[in-house]
Amino acid sequence: MRLSRTLALGASMLVLLGACSTGGGSKPTVKVGSVGFDEARVVAETYAQALEANGYTVDRAGIGLGDRKVLLPALETSKIDLMPEYIGSGLAQGYGGTSTTDPAKNRTDLQTVLNGKGGGITVLDYTPAVDTNALVVRKETADQFSLKTWGDIAAHQADLKIGLATDCPTNPVCAKALKDVYGIDTSGATLLAACSTPMADALKAKTIDVAELCSTGPEIIVNGWVRLEDDKGTQPADNISPLVRNDLLAKVGDKAAFEKIFNDISAKIDTPTLAQLYYDVAVGKKDIKDVASAWLKAGGFVK
Amino acid sequence: MNLLTATATWLADPANWTGAGAIPQRLLEHVGLSAISLAVAVAIALPAGLAIGHTRRGAEVAANLANIGRAIPSLAVIGIILPITAAIDPQLGFKVYPTLVAMIILAIPPILVNSEAGIRSVDPELVESARAMGMGEGQVLAGVEVPVALPVILTGVRSAATQIIATMTLGAIFGSGGLGRFLVEGIAQNDDGKIFGGVVLVAGLALVIEALFALAGRAATSPGLRRIDVNRQGSLGVAT
Repeated sequence: MRLSRTLALGASMLVLLGACSTGGGSKPTVKVGSVGFDEARVVAETYAQALEANGYTVDRAGIGLGDRKVLLPALETSKIDLMPEYIGSGLAQGYGGTSTTDPAKNRTDLQTVLNGKGGGITVLDYTPAVDTNALVVRKETADQFSLKTWGDIAAHQADLKIGLATDCPTNPVCAKALKDVYGIDTSGATLLAACSTPMADALKAKTIDVAELCSTGPEIIVNGWVRLEDDKGTQPADNISPLVRNDLLAKVGDKAAFEKIFNDISAKIDTPTLAQLYYDVAVGKKDIKDVASAWLKAGGFVK
Repeated sequence: MNLLTATATWLADPANWTGAGAIPQRLLEHVGLSAISLAVAVAIALPAGLAIGHTRRGAEVAANLANIGRAIPSLAVIGIILPITAAIDPQLGFKVYPTLVAMIILAIPPILVNSEAGIRSVDPELVESARAMGMGEGQVLAGVEVPVALPVILTGVRSAATQIIATMTLGAIFGSGGLGRFLVEGIAQNDDGKIFGGVVLVAGLALVIEALFALAGRAATSPGLRRIDVNRQGSLGVAT
């Protein structure tokens, strides 16, 4: 009797499972990834929660996995399926392309490269938000030398110690652009990780006077630092797009509905939103999952 | 490009051997910073180890302190020290001193433990006969215990030196010079040749230092002890 009841239960569960996999379209597990810093992680977390709200299972092991050098190969080899990417830097630094200040062109060019990578990868819609490379100085430095633009740095470079991202010497939009467009010599610069705590610490400790930080970086607001204007427009438009493997898109059934999940989210992320999400995690010390879910709820993406 | 080819190409490129930030400068910085850290660690740990080994007092405390020292990650030490030293000196206090302190903390345990163990393991009859001959405590230590224990003590210093050379690379994260720059910059610049070229240089330097210490250890072994297996003596210490 007990045995037959168990069997009956098992059989009904099988039926249920079968119903799930046929009736609901196939809902594969989606492996979400991101680079290591908080802003990218919180954006990846919004993707993950939106997927879960739409009935997908999400593997978050790849969120915060590492830098581009680790992450792009992971995407190409299917270790992750989906990640947010800064399209300008992804194009220039990830794949050696030439990024511009035009996000539409960056997206098209990145898509062209990614068509041939890892069996095909799709670049979805980009955010209006731009997180670009910013040169930042302490308030008193800005006052002392009347610094407003990157060009002003060139005029006072003998008096200023510059801190740049570690990839700067070989990054065409960094050392080369600073030299060719602004005449800023970067050979003596202190190199620290991009958008990192050490970079902000070095500016705070006066080890450096000019720091390359992410424009949405919360430490700029917290410390009352001054962001100088890239008046000659050298920095690429780093809007954020989800990169998705084509083989995942082929498995999701309704591809248009799947892409709409992300395109709707991206449309709502403007620069102040992105800076706020980053701030809540990095400075507010709130849990990334809570920050992402609060934002998704406020925007009506999840209930 | 194949990893080996990339590494060989980077190492063979003459541009990487001349000028600011090239291999000779980074190698000198690495050796210099390592030598300073090792010298300070020896100055702290060696007298302490000798005193504890000779008096047989405080050995347990020393062993526990040494274990704590081993358990603290160097990166954490750098992170803790940095705000303090950077407030004193914005340049060296940010880029150099934190790494030096971390390396000194890293190097103290093997030197302390090995010098204590080396002195303690000297044959008590030998020490007693020295005393019976009228030697003072200082003479016993300097004339009998240290010469006999020297190979074991040097093994500790050697172990500390190789650990420093490998771990010093962390300093590059905070803008320090040294060979670590090639690792940190190579990763950020997506340059496999630079990363593994840096790895080869660090490993090569560690091997050279190992070899120098092995030679010094052999030379330092008192002729009367030569017949004793030095390797076995070396294994008295925890680190090899």
